[in-house]
Amino acid sequence: MNNIHLSELKDVPFKIIWAVAFLTIMGLVVLKSISQHHVGGVFQNPFTKQLFFLIPAVLLSILILITPRYTIHKYAYALYAIGVLIVLMPFFGNPHAGTYRWLNIGLPFTIQPSEFAKVFTLIALARYLSDYNLQMKKFSTIILPILLVMLPTIIVLKQPDLGTAIIMMAPVLPMLYWAGARPFYLFLILAPLFSMLTAFHSLAFTVWAIVLGISIFVARPKRFMAIALFFGNIFIGLLSPILWNSLSKYQQSRVLTFINPEKDPLGAAYQIIQSKTAIGSGGLFGKGWGEGTQTHLKFLPVQESDFILSVMGEEFGFISILIVLLVFGLFIIQILKRSFLSKDRFSSIALMGFASVFMAHVFVNTAMTVGLIPVKGLPFPFISAGGSFLLTCYIMIGLILKLSVNYSE
Amino acid sequence: MLKAENIVSYKQYIVSISIIWILVIILLGRFFQIQILSYDRYSKKANTNRIRKITSTAPRGLILDRNGQILVDNSPSYVLTAIPGELKNKGQKFDIISSIIGLDSLEVSKNYKKYYRGKFLPTRLAKDLTFSQVSKLEENKINLGGVYYEQIPDRYFPSKVKASHILGYVKEVDRPIRKNLGNKQRYELGDMIGWIGLEKQYEYYLKGIRGTSFYEVDAFGREVGLAKGLDSQNPEPGNNIVTTIDIDIQYILEEIMMGKKGVIIVGNPSTGEIIGAVSAPDFEPDLFTGLMLEKDWEKVLRDPDKPLINRMIQGLYPPGSIVKMVTATNLLLNPEFDPNKYQRCDGHYQFGDRLFGCWQSQGHGDMTLNTAILNSCDVYFYKNVHLINLNELSSTFRSYGFGQATLLDIPGESVGIVPTSEYMTKRYGRYGWSKGAILNICIGQGELLVTPIQVFNYINLLATNGNAGTPHFVMVDKIPKNIAPKLDSKFWNRIKSDMKDVINHENGTGRSANPNVDGMIVFGKTGTAENPHGENHAWFIGWAELDDSKYSIVVLLENSGSGGTVAAPVARKVFAQISKNTQLSFYE
Repeated sequence: MNNIHLSELKDVPFKIIWAVAFLTIMGLVVLKSISQHHVGGVFQNPFTKQLFFLIPAVLLSILILITPRYTIHKYAYALYAIGVLIVLMPFFGNPHAGTYRWLNIGLPFTIQPSEFAKVFTLIALARYLSDYNLQMKKFSTIILPILLVMLPTIIVLKQPDLGTAIIMMAPVLPMLYWAGARPFYLFLILAPLFSMLTAFHSLAFTVWAIVLGISIFVARPKRFMAIALFFGNIFIGLLSPILWNSLSKYQQSRVLTFINPEKDPLGAAYQIIQSKTAIGSGGLFGKGWGEGTQTHLKFLPVQESDFILSVMGEEFGFISILIVLLVFGLFIIQILKRSFLSKDRFSSIALMGFASVFMAHVFVNTAMTVGLIPVKGLPFPFISAGGSFLLTCYIMIGLILKLSVNYSE
Repeated sequence: MLKAENIVSYKQYIVSISIIWILVIILLGRFFQIQILSYDRYSKKANTNRIRKITSTAPRGLILDRNGQILVDNSPSYVLTAIPGELKNKGQKFDIISSIIGLDSLEVSKNYKKYYRGKFLPTRLAKDLTFSQVSKLEENKINLGGVYYEQIPDRYFPSKVKASHILGYVKEVDRPIRKNLGNKQRYELGDMIGWIGLEKQYEYYLKGIRGTSFYEVDAFGREVGLAKGLDSQNPEPGNNIVTTIDIDIQYILEEIMMGKKGVIIVGNPSTGEIIGAVSAPDFEPDLFTGLMLEKDWEKVLRDPDKPLINRMIQGLYPPGSIVKMVTATNLLLNPEFDPNKYQRCDGHYQFGDRLFGCWQSQGHGDMTLNTAILNSCDVYFYKNVHLINLNELSSTFRSYGFGQATLLDIPGESVGIVPTSEYMTKRYGRYGWSKGAILNICIGQGELLVTPIQVFNYINLLATNGNAGTPHFVMVDKIPKNIAPKLDSKFWNRIKSDMKDVINHENGTGRSANPNVDGMIVFGKTGTAENPHGENHAWFIGWAELDDSKYSIVVLLENSGSGGTVAAPVARKVFAQISKNTQLSFYE
């Protein structure tokens, strides 16, 4: 069963492997630049830390490659249960930097269990959605998988880690779409959220109401249903500013700080300004390796993880960003292609999930570094330094490689 | 297995690919906008309008004596720094610097590596420059591009006393130290942190909060003024602490101990306040400030008299006869013991096959508890100690605070040894020791080891009928609860009257501790502790009562002979000085 035939070797997704290798090496080059004057042990230096973690990362992905697809499918729910348990574990220890994101098990580095939980949750969701008895055309069918993902997400939100929570939720809608859910239903899930957010801006709310009306009209639900959906959303929208204003100033600021943790001017504003200055001053070809003034003046915060792209933009310019994002786009498209060509539904939906997780990481991280969205502590796959994050990226790559080859198992 | 077939349609595939490309194009568009279209703006901003966060050192709190006189102050000190990104021809510049400030250029480049934080952040090269050195460097400014100096507050000791073992010292935070700190954010490389003594114990109060200011920096990393719109915060100095030390008393103690080895502790037994204390030999308090040269450090470290050891709390000594009141306490608690029954001292006592001698080899004659204490007769105790066992005696020792830390507010206390039968068995084996061991321990010899601060607490307990405050050096609202033996006041008073006779009786061993000041009554006990490292240690413990105030004292002189002839006169000097000191009086 596990013998790989030569004919199947042609089927190996080399493009994915090349993309990962390129991004990893690119990351090491940037990390080496910012680690030039780091003093301290292996785990204090982002470059050596990354090199160290690459060993178990690659080994893990190889381990997954030799695991039968059937086994992954069989233990999907067990893995999910483990995922929920491990995100709960930090709450029993001491808070680390005021949060419960990390587990300290006596190693020279801490472990972020939510990273692993996000992979396990995704596999469980793929298994659920690949059941051929599932009636995807019914609205109620899509509620259960959402609840399945909500459980670990809420725990992660409590840690609190909004970034990872977003990543956990990110693959849900794409995977539902892949499993055959009506796009209109997916739209309905998102609709109240849009209603609430746009309600604070009259023009945005008007535009939203028109979009909502047209969507409902096009989808042609029953007349009563259509009216209920439309006015229900408008009602939620109108209610939310009133609810918001009924909160005390203190509560409002708590909510705002939660959405945007570094709201203070010296935090987020300062970081975004420094990041944009670093990127902008890089120009087309950058200032050269190790020459980034913003980087080496330590103006850039968390430069080895969250703002690694700003370092790259400053030292290697727009060209490097263009190449990295294009390679990443092609990498995602390759996964989607494999997903489309996959013979079984489980592999197809899981691959869609991995593609979504990677894309969400890239989009949120990149959009943050260029000031398109508020600061969220999320790293860039393969390039940012990180222990648990690098491991999960390679675990996902192992799974992607495994599921994207149509072996006769 | 995995029977469900893939149902993804080509349309779904195309929709998803399109979404991916749209997202990638949005991101690339934004980068294009920032890096290509706004390149000039951001480039200019990066070169001319960089905001640098500079933090400034907060002065540490002062340390004052009980009357508000300054023991530890701050004084400005010049620090030479370099911005690595601006420093060309490092070696040449280091040579210029070393020729001006007289520090080896190897040392300068060592510092450069040690303090390096980033290409454009100031890196410390040398500290404690004098004003004239700074002026000379200023003259050479043209050859020293990238070299700057700044002013930081440094520890400075304006008073006439050293008190180095009490005050302790601060140490520069380097990478290994910072790595092990619990609150890393509060410390930067080059900051000072309390390392020993009160500086360490009260670090939390003494350490201030760093100030922050935001400077605009030009293309060369030079500050061109405060950044607009970002508020600066001034450094917040640390809190002052008021100690219980009296500078004048402390000065006398240090003078007495000049050239000697040992400890004196003087204090108020009721409150536990220490008004003066010396561990000799000590060191100059400013030894650790400034640029400490390796050879100075080696010298202090290699000194056979070990001046860095705080003998008050870390020195372990056999106490000798000064602990006879512990044995007396234990005997008095035994109903079979009659303090007025005579025991004959012939100068020695046969126990099994061993002969235990009294310090006075011709013997003291017939002794009661009272005369045994005032003559410090050993045989009297040998003859009575069969009434108690070793573990009873050791728990009485512990009830006086021996064998445990006193909770003094200086970190690093040793606990000493109070042997129990379990201890003896563990150390010598089941048959390796005999009951004769208690004969040594009951007169403060043998395995028993104590620290002078424990002895200080012990004499305080005796002086206050067990109501002594925990020894401390800093005036605080709340001191930890002290230990005390539970004794009937008739026992306390009996022991006290014996101790009064030690000083005031014509045969008392502590006669020379009495300064003969009107109205001052002195109580005490001498000790002459044999030790394996040479000459006997001389002990005197006691207290003086004057105008409702009590002053307790512990004197320990290492390897200098008998307590009555060497240590007691020291106590007399101190008591005499106290009677002259008008500022000192703690009415209760």
